[in-house]
Amino acid sequence: MAQECGFQYEPVAEIGGGAYGTVYKARHVESGQFVALKSVRVQTDQDGLPISTVREVALLKRLEQFDHPNVVKLMDVCATFRTDQETKVTLVFEHVDQDLKTYLEKAPAPGLPPSRICDLMRQLLCGLAFLHSNRVVHRDLKPENILVTSRGQVKLADFGLARIYSCHMALTPVVVTLWYRPPEVLLQSTYATPVDIWSTGCIFAEMFRRKPLFCGDSEVDQLGKIFNVIGLPPEEEWPADVTLLRHNFSPISPRPITDYVPEINDLGAELLLEMLTFDPLRRISALNALEHPYFQEDEVTNG
Amino acid sequence: MAKTGFCDSMPLLDLHKKTTEERRAPLRAWSNASGPKERWHPQEGEEQPRGVQQKTEPERRWVRRLPVSTEDGIIMGFHENESSSYSDGYKEDEAVLLYLHGLQGLHSLQTLVPGLLRHEMELAMEKLGLIYDRSYAWDVFSDMMRSQLRFTFPNADLPRPFTDTTRAILVDWLIQVHGVFHFSEETLYLSVHLLNRSLRQIKVNTANLQLLGVVCLFLAAKKEECLLPEVSELCFLMENSYSKRQLLRMERRVLTELKFEVSHSSPLHFLLLSASIAHCSTKVVWMARYLLELSLLEGQCVVFLAAQLAGAALCLARRILQEPPTPERETAWCIASSIHMGSEATLLKIMHIQAGAAARAQSRDTCATFLKFSTGETMHVSNHLALQSAPSLLSLTATHT
Repeated sequence: MAQECGFQYEPVAEIGGGAYGTVYKARHVESGQFVALKSVRVQTDQDGLPISTVREVALLKRLEQFDHPNVVKLMDVCATFRTDQETKVTLVFEHVDQDLKTYLEKAPAPGLPPSRICDLMRQLLCGLAFLHSNRVVHRDLKPENILVTSRGQVKLADFGLARIYSCHMALTPVVVTLWYRPPEVLLQSTYATPVDIWSTGCIFAEMFRRKPLFCGDSEVDQLGKIFNVIGLPPEEEWPADVTLLRHNFSPISPRPITDYVPEINDLGAELLLEMLTFDPLRRISALNALEHPYFQEDEVTNG
Repeated sequence: MAKTGFCDSMPLLDLHKKTTEERRAPLRAWSNASGPKERWHPQEGEEQPRGVQQKTEPERRWVRRLPVSTEDGIIMGFHENESSSYSDGYKEDEAVLLYLHGLQGLHSLQTLVPGLLRHEMELAMEKLGLIYDRSYAWDVFSDMMRSQLRFTFPNADLPRPFTDTTRAILVDWLIQVHGVFHFSEETLYLSVHLLNRSLRQIKVNTANLQLLGVVCLFLAAKKEECLLPEVSELCFLMENSYSKRQLLRMERRVLTELKFEVSHSSPLHFLLLSASIAHCSTKVVWMARYLLELSLLEGQCVVFLAAQLAGAALCLARRILQEPPTPERETAWCIASSIHMGSEATLLKIMHIQAGAAARAQSRDTCATFLKFSTGETMHVSNHLALQSAPSLLSLTATHT
């Protein structure tokens, strides 16, 4: 049983040498179906399989049972026990050919039509609301791990993986983009579900702009770029117990978001600002975002 | 006095011994050695008049009169066709839950739930630390209701050579080990859940049964606990009958065979949620927890859903303790009862099993739960006199249906 993964799937191509290790596209030998194989090597010490692996994989399996349309399907989990010291855990996901990054790059000249963006956003938020209601925080949401099927269905991928990997991989310098990180993460304050909403806001803007909203090259630079748009938050919103202090940044007032995302309509801009709210407690939740008039307006115009 | 000395019970645990004779003899010896009689101290003031059954009448009325009905099967609608038999009642439960299972993207559902219940649910979930954000309370609860359907057993049959008795002895021992490590209650429920599944999915012989049980506890601890026992400690508790290597191999086997699916909807969560919404007294909650834990030992209980087991334990606890009703408490119970935990017929069936288990608890060999709930910490609930007549309490009211 434990060996099955190796025999059931034959590798087709390497599809990602991402920060979290190599990902393979593979074919299920019997059905011919394509899958994405992601493996983690786990050190099995004298206490057996590490707690974090047991928990994270159990969580992914639990989410799987709900079969949510906007969450990538985890088809199988295999544990290959190579030696007494090392275990390889392979997660078998459904394979979706393109991610949102490619999808945006491939869109013809003026970019995606507004109704398409609205639909993608609604699906994205549906998936997110599902994860959040199950107490799962993605933590690393970016166009590369939002998949879009050929029929335009959005599927969130790699959620929870960030944690599985970070626990076990003593990796060569991990390059994780800062561009979608919310202020509380950059400031190393506490964070929970609102983290993903910030990233979703950045992605929302990017769908119109077809290039990222905030491209910082360090934590401080990233924060500076954020404050250029949303303005420097008032002292009382600045988190306590963080090393970076508010007066390290020059006072700056917010600029209209339409300067950065000119194509967005009024309701869209309103929603975007609610997602790009500095204070995580005041940032809109995925559930509430779905109730935003921006989505109802689209129903009227399209319906 | 709370915990049975671990070494006392060791002979009982020798499930791996070669012959059945050897296995059975110490069992008797142990029950004689640390029999519950000496530990059983009826509490002053707990004396309950026996003939109080008629008092349970009003409670039955509360169960189904709340006129709330939503498209969501969690909320009880009008189920007035309750004259049906047990099996019909069970099927109806399943239908409601399966319907619920089919619903996707339930975020708009919360608007259908009466505000008062929603508010109580949010408070209860927050109190139990099940949510970060109140707006997700109803979704989390819906997921709990759906998840409990994930691993159900069509029948209570165990693969040979195991019987309900062997299983009960093992579970009883696990309860003691669980107590030794001061694990959380969730860990115990999860261990037994994993054991129930493993027993049916993994071929083990009698010699390895105890090892399987310990591995289930170990995995449950990995899922729920911050501090883990050392593998060597676990081996020591089994008198080093198995090596560390054997234990770790069994762990891999169980994880692989269960496909890493080591999450479940704990009946304890359902119990605590309902109890919190119903504003139950601390004593009712302890009594319900006792009854719920007793059902872990009952092989026939595996066919019931987590919410049903919890619902039954809570109803039975209220009947046993017969606390004087207050308007506030009755209203709260009414709100809690609007959550569909199971049909009356199913609940009653479970209550019968739990009542029977409670009446026999102190005279059985497997009395770890009885002892655990006889302490001051647990308000001595297992010593409550009304428990001995619990089954008759139910059979009288059952005739009214």
